[in-house]
Amino acid sequence: MDIKKILKNIDSFKIITTPSILIVFIVFIMMLGTYFVYAKPALLKYGINLFIQNVWIASEEASKEVYGLAAPIWGSIYVAILAVLVSLPMAICYAIFVNDYAPKKLKYPLIVISDIMAGLPTIVYGIWGALILVPLLRDHVMKFLYENFSFIPLFNYPPIAGYSFMAAGVLLGIMVTPFAAAIIREAYAMIPSVYKEGLVAMGATKYETTKILIGYVKPAIISGIILAFGRALGETVAVSLVIGNSFNLTYKLFAPGYTISSLIANQYGNAALYENMTSVLYAAGLVLFVVGLIVNIIGLYYLKRWREHVQH
Amino acid sequence: MSNTNNKNNIEIGGDPTYKKIRLIKDNIFLIIVGVLTLFAILPLFHIIISILSKGLPVIMEKGMVFITGTLSEGGIGPAIVGTLMLTALASLIGLPLAFLAGAYAYEFPHSFIGRTTKVLLQIMLEFPTILVGTFVMAVMVFPMGHYSALAGAIALAIILTPYVAVYTEEAMAEIPRIYKEGAYALGCTRAQVIFKVITKMAKKGILTGMLIGMAKVAGETAPLLFTAGGLYETYPSDPLQPVGAIPLLIYQLIQSPSLEDHKMAWGAALIMLIIFLSIFVPIRYALKDDIKI
Repeated sequence: MDIKKILKNIDSFKIITTPSILIVFIVFIMMLGTYFVYAKPALLKYGINLFIQNVWIASEEASKEVYGLAAPIWGSIYVAILAVLVSLPMAICYAIFVNDYAPKKLKYPLIVISDIMAGLPTIVYGIWGALILVPLLRDHVMKFLYENFSFIPLFNYPPIAGYSFMAAGVLLGIMVTPFAAAIIREAYAMIPSVYKEGLVAMGATKYETTKILIGYVKPAIISGIILAFGRALGETVAVSLVIGNSFNLTYKLFAPGYTISSLIANQYGNAALYENMTSVLYAAGLVLFVVGLIVNIIGLYYLKRWREHVQH
Repeated sequence: MSNTNNKNNIEIGGDPTYKKIRLIKDNIFLIIVGVLTLFAILPLFHIIISILSKGLPVIMEKGMVFITGTLSEGGIGPAIVGTLMLTALASLIGLPLAFLAGAYAYEFPHSFIGRTTKVLLQIMLEFPTILVGTFVMAVMVFPMGHYSALAGAIALAIILTPYVAVYTEEAMAEIPRIYKEGAYALGCTRAQVIFKVITKMAKKGILTGMLIGMAKVAGETAPLLFTAGGLYETYPSDPLQPVGAIPLLIYQLIQSPSLEDHKMAWGAALIMLIIFLSIFVPIRYALKDDIKI
């Protein structure tokens, strides 16, 4: 009798689902732990210099090895900022167009196209970027800017191969646009229609209406920017195919560079040959891990707060 | 131009030149918005057209060998089988896990564990995929001593799980509460309510999430770089041995300087694109009514 009662009180739903929750938690903690454990030797050996120096001397002898991750860390952030700058105007205009201007027949295809772009395998962007976009940008944009505007320091690096920060920024910008656009579009569609009706009733033109409504969705735009930035930081394959992969600590747009993720993708394969390189790469991964975590938490928090604000 | 200004002008009837300026601004704005929207979606068409124009001749030239042959014969057969194998294994590991985790996050949205689970899943969803690859390398490939299909599949499963779990949770949350209350009123246990009533009602959303998640991981490259290894000369048979995958093969072929390799990469990219679009587009169209505009 008692056993039956106890059995009845046990929630079979919890029994079935708890293992899966445990696995999710364990995997996450294990990931963080693994990165700390593997990065520790490099952190102890090089200290803060690992993050502020720009050197990369791989040697058979452990004592001669010196590594500094300043260039890849800078590259990751720089490229992600460029990507956001490229994608933001397109994402906002797309959201406005789909919500306000597009005729009914065009709306749905536009949304499907954007969704396809968001889901398209990154390697497809990679092959297109490396073999089509880079030559295109080099011959038509970079050469022009270099020849005519090289007095601006941003443009005064000779675009020989075309693999550069700019190529990576543009490609990443194209890749994160549908992602940011979806967030902004959803937010824009959630604006209560009374605001719009009020503005139209006041005699505002479409431009004036949109200008005020965009102010209303500003928090959603900010969270879209932050999440797009986070996604651009972590992108690996497409970036490593177009960025040129060399240790350059510069703001010049046409110079080749490195990002943390492309550094890992390129060097990890032969890192086992050197005593300290594996650990250094895990330290680089740890940086990406922590920065990505912070950026995504802030972005998600903003988005959640905005959604709650609109719903109430 | 401030707001109050507009209003005053309208109230007193408006100055005609001022009105003209406003209309011109409006038109310029429309043009800018239209052009930038076009820019946002143009790359997709450019990508599809360039892959078709570069990939189709390669496949036509090689014929069936391209689909079935090994790399030295001029085909990507083992890579296609490898991708299928990796996706199937990853789904086998990830889908049940994702469904249960999603159901938990749905059922306990206010408890500490439920909330943390949801946040964790959302963070893992946005996680750099290369980090998953190096993590699996550390915990699976180093101890085993070699690359394997299983390691690749686990890396993919770690990416698949949060994706499908978040989709499952959202699909379940769409079901009106009243059905849940009805089921409880009939005397169902919690497990019966969730797995028999809510799951059946949210079936469409959950299945969509699973299929889109599978299509997504089938195209992933970064997590496979240091886990799957690569195998292009023989067909894979043992999940504990290295396998190849189409995206991985494309990545390696583009980095080679040989133009012949680039040709193979375009052909493989076309196959990849066809597989992706044939899964993704029908699902998206099936969901037509669910999109809120």
